Amino acid sequence: MLVLSRRVGESVVLGSDIVVTVLDVRGDLVRVGIKAPRSVEVHRAELLEELEETNKQAASPSEETVANLSEALRRRSAE
Amino acid sequence: MTVTLNPADLVCHDVAVTDDVPGDLPLLDLVRPMVGFPEHRAFALVRLDDDGVLTSLTSVDDDQLRFLVVPPAQFFPDYAPVIDDEVVAELEIADVADVLLLVVLTAGATLADTTANLIAPVVVNVRTRKAAQVVLETQDWPVAAPLMG
Repeated sequence: MLVLSRRVGESVVLGSDIVVTVLDVRGDLVRVGIKAPRSVEVHRAELLEELEETNKQAASPSEETVANLSEALRRRSAE
Repeated sequence: MTVTLNPADLVCHDVAVTDDVPGDLPLLDLVRPMVGFPEHRAFALVRLDDDGVLTSLTSVDDDQLRFLVVPPAQFFPDYAPVIDDEVVAELEIADVADVLLLVVLTAGATLADTTANLIAPVVVNVRTRKAAQVVLETQDWPVAAPLMG
């Protein structure tokens, strides 16, 4: 990992068209501005980790689970 | 339920989007893959019930990999995701009527334990067959919303 130190207002450039700027620092909270092409998705790392974990848990439920869910939904819509 | 699609000329209120899954949709191309499953791009939507509600999003390359999805409107009437113009462009959305919105379920042992991911819905353009799991970074929807309120 490349480690750089920045003061408020200073920036880091990634590749040719991504700029990360330190906007302000308040206590342990650092606000960061990101300029990137619209095609580059920017996400908080922990959100992506959470989503990956959620998708993995959601993936490939057993046939029994699916049958139970389907039946439960059918019963509810019949009410 | 309201889905907002940017740019503004595609804003729709009160659900013009398809709210049940068509039975005859050909294969989808996931231009943004399911988070954590970057290798899987081709998926089939397979109806699991007669109403077009419970649906399986099944990988073509590995039919053991599938996700349970539902159109969210009947379960989450206040759900109001905003889909940005980058997604609209990637999926080549030209008409809001072509948009099918789906949310991924984590099935529990009972219906009461089953949750839906509202922070990363799957947006499908039924005309172009392009789809994406869209991470709604700046919107505050839950990742595990109870299906039964």
